[in-house]
Amino acid sequence: MMQNENIIQIRDLTAKYDDRIILDNISLNIRRGEVFVILGSSGGGKTTLLKHIIGLLKPVSGEINIFGKNTLSMELEEFEEILKKIGVQFQGGALLNSMEVWENVAMPLEHHTRLPVSTIRNIVKQKLSLVNLKHAYRLFPSELSGGMKKRVALARAIVMDPEILFFDEPSAGLDPITAAELDELILELQKKLGITIVVVTHELESIKRIADRVLYLQKGKNIFCGTLEEAKAADNDEMNQFFGWSEKVKRHK
Amino acid sequence: MQIQNENIMVFDEDFYVQQIDRLIEQIENIKKTTADNITLDFSRTKNFDTLAIAIFLYFEKDKRIKTIFSQEIINDLAEFKKNIAFDEKSSGDVSAFESLVMKVNDFQSQLKTFIILSADVFHYSLRAVFNKEGRKAGSVYQQMLLMGNNAVPIIFLLSFLIGLILSLQSAAQLRQFGANIYLVDLIVIGMILEMGPIIAAVIVAGRSGSAIAAEISTMKITEELDALQVMALNPLKYVVAPKMLAMTVCLPMLTIIANMVGIFGGFIIGVLYLGLSPDIFINRAVSVMTLYFWYQSLLKSVLFSWLIVLIGAHFGFNVKGGAEGVGKAATSSVVAAIFAVIMTDAFLSLIFYFEF
Repeated sequence: MMQNENIIQIRDLTAKYDDRIILDNISLNIRRGEVFVILGSSGGGKTTLLKHIIGLLKPVSGEINIFGKNTLSMELEEFEEILKKIGVQFQGGALLNSMEVWENVAMPLEHHTRLPVSTIRNIVKQKLSLVNLKHAYRLFPSELSGGMKKRVALARAIVMDPEILFFDEPSAGLDPITAAELDELILELQKKLGITIVVVTHELESIKRIADRVLYLQKGKNIFCGTLEEAKAADNDEMNQFFGWSEKVKRHK
Repeated sequence: MQIQNENIMVFDEDFYVQQIDRLIEQIENIKKTTADNITLDFSRTKNFDTLAIAIFLYFEKDKRIKTIFSQEIINDLAEFKKNIAFDEKSSGDVSAFESLVMKVNDFQSQLKTFIILSADVFHYSLRAVFNKEGRKAGSVYQQMLLMGNNAVPIIFLLSFLIGLILSLQSAAQLRQFGANIYLVDLIVIGMILEMGPIIAAVIVAGRSGSAIAAEISTMKITEELDALQVMALNPLKYVVAPKMLAMTVCLPMLTIIANMVGIFGGFIIGVLYLGLSPDIFINRAVSVMTLYFWYQSLLKSVLFSWLIVLIGAHFGFNVKGGAEGVGKAATSSVVAAIFAVIMTDAFLSLIFYFEF
């Protein structure tokens, strides 16, 4: 596996809702095996960018390459092959409420592999114990707390051993201990399995713990892309405020 | 606060909004008794709360009140005016004509998305007939149970009652002309061609059309549809196609039940009220009941089944807003489905009546 190979490349991506520009000429590269964090203040276009990368929204113009292939020009069947190598954890979990937890986690395996049912169940059990949710195996999503739903969603996202894992606000609404555990889990996945991880978040603690590189979006514009040290050196007013590096914020403390 | 002569009020250092109701009452009273202007002197007032600022502005704008403000008030008032100086119009505030134009445009774009959705749904449903991939195992059977099997009792009861009442009302008229035997023709043709398909479709639209819209719109709001999509599972294949297949089978079967039970209701009236002998009723019914009628009846019910699923899915996928949006989607889908069913029925009846 080549280090520093660009697994996702985005060129001049522009997106609009009606007439409002949400993403303005975004270009970026995400390297294989890194933890890439998309951040910025609310309404900056973070989640919109994520949804464009995973194909839920179509941009006005621009180019998105995943595994070196342009996903915007390809047929649905071809894109579905790429999606099978991707895991996504949504903000609210997005578990199917009509199914038990284990069925939710088993879904991708059931539909995209020809594994026997007993093997699928064993894989599901293993992934659920990875996120510490053995006891939730036969529960319904409505019986879980918010944090548990997120962890089940993570188990579902990694059940196919994806090459890229996307997180939409993984630690929003979690207590600091659970959030830290989740971050540990993310780092573990990255180290053990070499998964590329893309996280949308604005949880400061979490960013500092996990980020290899960050992208800072301000009103849909890419104002910074690089490591945290470089971000500090860039000395941008808004970023300084965001990270608490500016004088103004310090005074308030 | 003190009142110096009649029309001048001088206020203390503190002015809080608790005093305001009484003050406004007093001012109104003074206004009634004199034609002169009233002077409110706030020149000493230094401590006041944010609500009081709004009251100061209200006094300032009143033509019959002359106000004297302290520097503090003048400063805060300027700030306050700056803060409220923005347009409070929303895109929802439009004139009647504009809203009419918007409604027409909205209908056009809805029709467009409906047609595109229909094409997609037919495509995937047709493929789903031959290919089980992309849906939960047993989901078609499960949908048949929900939408078909569970609707049998209510359809049974209602079409029996409709058949019974329809025959009773007609029997009273036919009796006067001694045309008792024609009750059989009336109820057989009426049930098979019109009432049977309509009753079944309206009940199913109310039961399952709304359920489809509610289910899909909830899945949309909780991002379940997005999750399906990124798991490389097409929501149309996974959610809509099983319903489409199940409904295409179930509604014609429910229609057959409705037809037969309705005719049975007519049989009861014919035998008990008009005194027709059972074997005459049955012989007559069999001779009236041509295969062609059944073909029309089932054709209608198949079309109705597609309309109900497509309209439910359309309102489900295009849901806006949260819990309220789900309710709206369910309601609109029932109304639109029943409307579409009756329109289609009228259209088809006219075609069949005049062409053949």
